Amino acid sequence: MECVVQGIIETKHVEALEILLQGLCGVHRESLRVHELCLKSVPNLGLVSSEIRLLCDLEQPEPTWTVRHVGGALRGAGADQISVLVRNMMESKVSKNALRLFYALGYKLDHELLRVGFTFQFHRGAQITVTVSSVNKMLKLHSTDEAVPVTPGIQLVEVTAPASSENYTEVVAAMSSFCEYLAPLLHLSKPGVSTGVVPTAAAAAASLMSDGGGTAL
Amino acid sequence: MAAMEGVTMAGAQDQPPKVVERLNPAVQQQLNLDSVKTRAISLFKAISRILEEFDVIARTNAVPKWQYVLGQFSMVNLELYNIVEDIKNVSKAFVVHPKNVNAENATILPVMLSSKLLPEIEVEDNVKREQLLHGMQILPVAAQIEKLKTRIDMIGAACESAEKIIADARKAYFGTRQGPTLLPTVDKVQAAKIQEQENLLRSAVNHGEGLRMPGDQRQVTSSLPMHLVDVLATNDTTQTFPDSSGMYQKGTPPLLTTAGNNSQGSLLQVSGAQFGRAAASPSGATGSTSFDNTTASPLQYANSPRSGANIMNMPSPQQQQPQQLQQHQQQQRQKMMQQQLLNQQQLRGSSMPSLGQMQGQHHVQFSQPLSAQQLQGRQLASSAMHMGQNQLNQGNQLNRQLNQFSSPANSAIFNAAQTTPASQMIPNMSAMMPSQSILPRMQFGISGGNRTLPAPSLSDQMYNMGAANAGGMMPIQQQQQQQQQQQQGAFGNMSQNTPQNIQSNMLPMQNTSQNHPNFQQQRQQNQQ
Repeated sequence: MECVVQGIIETKHVEALEILLQGLCGVHRESLRVHELCLKSVPNLGLVSSEIRLLCDLEQPEPTWTVRHVGGALRGAGADQISVLVRNMMESKVSKNALRLFYALGYKLDHELLRVGFTFQFHRGAQITVTVSSVNKMLKLHSTDEAVPVTPGIQLVEVTAPASSENYTEVVAAMSSFCEYLAPLLHLSKPGVSTGVVPTAAAAAASLMSDGGGTAL
Repeated sequence: MAAMEGVTMAGAQDQPPKVVERLNPAVQQQLNLDSVKTRAISLFKAISRILEEFDVIARTNAVPKWQYVLGQFSMVNLELYNIVEDIKNVSKAFVVHPKNVNAENATILPVMLSSKLLPEIEVEDNVKREQLLHGMQILPVAAQIEKLKTRIDMIGAACESAEKIIADARKAYFGTRQGPTLLPTVDKVQAAKIQEQENLLRSAVNHGEGLRMPGDQRQVTSSLPMHLVDVLATNDTTQTFPDSSGMYQKGTPPLLTTAGNNSQGSLLQVSGAQFGRAAASPSGATGSTSFDNTTASPLQYANSPRSGANIMNMPSPQQQQPQQLQQHQQQQRQKMMQQQLLNQQQLRGSSMPSLGQMQGQHHVQFSQPLSAQQLQGRQLASSAMHMGQNQLNQGNQLNRQLNQFSSPANSAIFNAAQTTPASQMIPNMSAMMPSQSILPRMQFGISGGNRTLPAPSLSDQMYNMGAANAGGMMPIQQQQQQQQQQQQGAFGNMSQNTPQNIQSNMLPMQNTSQNHPNFQQQRQQNQQ
């Protein structure tokens, strides 16, 4: 299970966001370059078609693969009240043969994308991961070197934290309180809900980027 | 007032013997001593009156009216404050304290009178002076004074601007809380553009909108990136997406499990190598022969699929030998691929959707150690899965059979399979038989009388390679579709499934019996 929120930020403010996150998290950023392949099974292979995501981490010298299945989200009145999406998610590291395996099982490539950015992982009430990345699409199949951003001026910010069905309320609370610190720069919401940009983003970014701004004698 | 006495003014000149000391009238007017005196006297009276009141209250033990008392006190306090302000002007000029030197102040008077600072204070003073006048001491004093003045002015200006900013912020803060917002807003056109971009981005990330390529663009035309090069083998034949699984059939290196599972590990490797070779020459006849060469070990397992295949070949008089060879090679390769894939550890317990239905039926069988029959079953099942998808171009009887293997709910596959043509699938079907007693049933039922089974197809090493890791594979359930011929005998002692051996294999087959409990179960279920 994981708790997840997403937000957008204009590319010009990404550096300011990085500074803010550096200060809040206390750890250094890790670069991110992930080739994500989304595979869907054909409907006649099961009752419903299922979707699997294969993530290849290209940042390491040796690419590592992860398989990820995103399940349904918590529903109900209680779920509507919390501002964070809690959903089932299974993830595992796999060998590079995973792609062939899934093709063998009958999965077909539905779409692929490349995420380039950075991520911060830290513990603040829960193990939180903040990822700021630009989402790129590939014009030719699998051509990760020639990927172009889907939206050049906007990058995606995702905050996730693993949770279990027993402790997800605490994780939700920890995530919500952390997200409040990012309020001057961006709004975070459940993945289906759009937020727009925050009007104070420019001012907040300017103050983060400046070198303190004290009056000189 | 000693000072008063000391000041002799012109007014005292006309009376030389009696010096009347009066203050200078100007000073007198300025100091306004009379009024101060009057005020002091009235204040004294007020305070004494209040004290008397307190005395009465204390004596009668009454509760004082505190508000009244406090009012009185504040009035007195204010009056005293004003008097003290006025007296200060006077005190500086005329007051001296202490007046006389006596015992108590004799010791401290010299210190009080000295103008030299105490040593520590003097050091501090010097340090501060040094800091302040750093670099300026060489200049004349006037210049130093000027510089200090400018410095003071700058500090003053900085403080004022800081105060202004704080005041503005305070106004803004209070403004937002109470009135219309003073925060900057994003202008509407820009907001709309951003909204549109945001929707694009979110839908792309969460649902993949805008990232899907039409089928014709899904060819791998440019070179693959590093991480995909060895994952997806390129092929000179078509690599369109529907054949993506076919893509790796032909050229990928064999996927070998840790061969420690069973003795067939070595066979796996051997076959894998041959498969690689076969990939190089897809249509060559060498493939089949090489596969055949490695079929020595299956004999150690009773009920090896080869025997079953041979048996199936038996009653099908319409074998098309030349076709069989080609198809057989292709199918063998494919099956080899699949088997190797399936034999990997990762398959164990994997929740593959296509297996979902079967899992429901044969759940108990997963945990049991694999026997040859189970291995066959699993391999067959997995190959069924795979073939069901990627051998469409070879005819869809496979799919039909696949459907029959799986649960009755899988009617979609079945319907798709119904439309498939030719006999080419049948050999593969035989490979997929989980239990050999059912094999013939499958065959005949599905092919609908088209019983051409290239015998070599049954001799796939893949079945023999069944490493124990085809964990997700259920023995396939078969559904009786049409007339079926049941062969109850197990196919024990099957020798290599070369076409030549079919006849000889039949007899021993009849005699053996399947005594594996799972297959018995299957049989029972299938016979319902």
